Amino acid sequence: MLEHIEAALQRPNFIAFVVLFLWGFFIMVAHPNLVKKLIGMYLLQTSVIFLLVTISAKAEAAAPILQGSDAVQSERHQIDPADYANPLPHVLTLTAIVVQVATLGVSLALVTAIYRQYGSLDEDQLLKRIE
Amino acid sequence: MSYQLPVILFLIPFLTAVCMPMVGRKNRHCCRPMALAAVFAMCVMAVVNLWSVLVHGETRYAFGGWPVSTSLPSPPTGIEWVNDPLASVMLVAISFVASVCLIYGGPVLPQSLGRRVVLYYTLILLLISGLTGIVFAGDIFNVFVFLEVAALSAYALVGVSGGRALMAAFRYLILGTLGASFYLLGVVFFYAATGTLNMADLAQQMVDNPELMTSKAVIAGSTFMFIGLGIKMALFPLHGWLPGAYARAPDAISPILAALMTKVALYAWVRIMFWVLGARAEIGQVHLLTLLGALGAPAAVVGALLALSQQDVKRMFAYGGISHVGLILIGVSQGNQTGFAGGMFYMVNDAVTQAGLFFIAGAAIYQHGARTVEEWASLRGGSPWMTGALIILAMSMIGIPPTGGFFGKWYIMLGAIEAGNYLAVGAVVIATLLTMAYFQRLFVSIFRASQASSSWARVEMHISLRISVGVTSAAIIVLGLCSDPIIKYFRDIAASVGL
Repeated sequence: MLEHIEAALQRPNFIAFVVLFLWGFFIMVAHPNLVKKLIGMYLLQTSVIFLLVTISAKAEAAAPILQGSDAVQSERHQIDPADYANPLPHVLTLTAIVVQVATLGVSLALVTAIYRQYGSLDEDQLLKRIE
Repeated sequence: MSYQLPVILFLIPFLTAVCMPMVGRKNRHCCRPMALAAVFAMCVMAVVNLWSVLVHGETRYAFGGWPVSTSLPSPPTGIEWVNDPLASVMLVAISFVASVCLIYGGPVLPQSLGRRVVLYYTLILLLISGLTGIVFAGDIFNVFVFLEVAALSAYALVGVSGGRALMAAFRYLILGTLGASFYLLGVVFFYAATGTLNMADLAQQMVDNPELMTSKAVIAGSTFMFIGLGIKMALFPLHGWLPGAYARAPDAISPILAALMTKVALYAWVRIMFWVLGARAEIGQVHLLTLLGALGAPAAVVGALLALSQQDVKRMFAYGGISHVGLILIGVSQGNQTGFAGGMFYMVNDAVTQAGLFFIAGAAIYQHGARTVEEWASLRGGSPWMTGALIILAMSMIGIPPTGGFFGKWYIMLGAIEAGNYLAVGAVVIATLLTMAYFQRLFVSIFRASQASSSWARVEMHISLRISVGVTSAAIIVLGLCSDPIIKYFRDIAASVGL
């Protein structure tokens, strides 16, 4: 048990991820206000992206760009990949953020349409008005 | 040329969708012919693609010429699309169902749409291109992106006509996004454990390091992926969004969603299950396929049970779809060729059947204003086309020969017996009986003697409704009659993944 806690404490980013994810999930499920549900959804999506960024963080890594003299060195195979940050997780993050923004756009449009039609954002009131 | 076919197949609906708002701004009536031309072209290309795969074998498309899994063991750096027998046959099914749905869509589109009809066609083509992307993707992150492309179009389509559908669309969006986040979380775990996203490379790493399969990251990753896709495929008990979304969606839209969205999510899971994790994958000490079968059985039974208790016909059919997702999952998780072939065949058949059922449900609302089981009595005198097609579709849903549904269920059950899994056999039988019961309710309502048929005016069905309903019923019979070669085709696919 103790070693599990110790192992968890060595990875604070995982703890932060779990807290953010569950927090977002809770808001999304429990809050009656539609816009706040969306905030929870956004938090949840961001927490996943946060995990992706933190697990790929590397201390004292250079940007993975080959310039002038580096390019010559790379031809002689003198470059150690361990010195460079991995660009792929950042690319994935960017794509995931784009997806997230698109989702948020569609959901806000839906919420606006709901508000125009029923004049409320509270889920309980909305369900009553729909009945 | 044949190498480029997957991309051409994707670009046909995608480019048409992009051009649609530009063309449709001036000439709104051009939209429908344009969309129809796009999906018909897609149908033709899908058949050509299937033929090319049959003749030349599978191809792997490397985007931008970057090395993909064909270059293994050197690591693939590019995005890859896999054009293999399973993907090509799925694509024929998708483009066929999509074109029938678009034929059907014209007359039943809500009049209130007005100028937004342009956006309806744009979104539906985007949905089709997203589904095409999921089918071809050979990279787990790519699957995520296309899942979201398809899902975002679907959310917008459900809410397109406003009213009560808005709330259903919002719920669908919240749960669908939750599913996508779970899936992305699974992708992150896989990436952290293996450093690759390419499906073939992942599979190779699983074979090379057997301890990877028992590592916590891969177990957690595959669990999250399954939960995410489980929400998308509406697997009981994660089905909460589906009945509302499909029942409230405009009648022109629910057929294509019911037919394709859940099936393609299921297809994505089959891809990951058999092409990445491998058919012999275990989680802890439990065989992963046994676990899936155990999840499929309650879904099949409970879905059918809930369908039986519905008053609204569209809702009833939506629950029927949930039950059938369970049946397909039972089939593919038996761990033998017969079950896999039966499951995949049932998936194709169910895509057509679900589309047909929602066509009839929509047409009943359009022509008779009949939404509930009681109101369906008005179908009796007026619509020989609808009742005729309904009989064929019901035969397929229940599983009576010679429809496709019978052969799908038959092979699923044979597979379960072969695996000695009698619980699954029982679940299929119970689901079948319950399916019969809820169709019985419909037919009792339609053919009840106390309803005088003369009191109902005979309504001439719109020609495009007749075409779509007729074509789907014919397709189900054809699927049943040609089931032998198709089953054999799926068996060969099953053999190629080591079942």
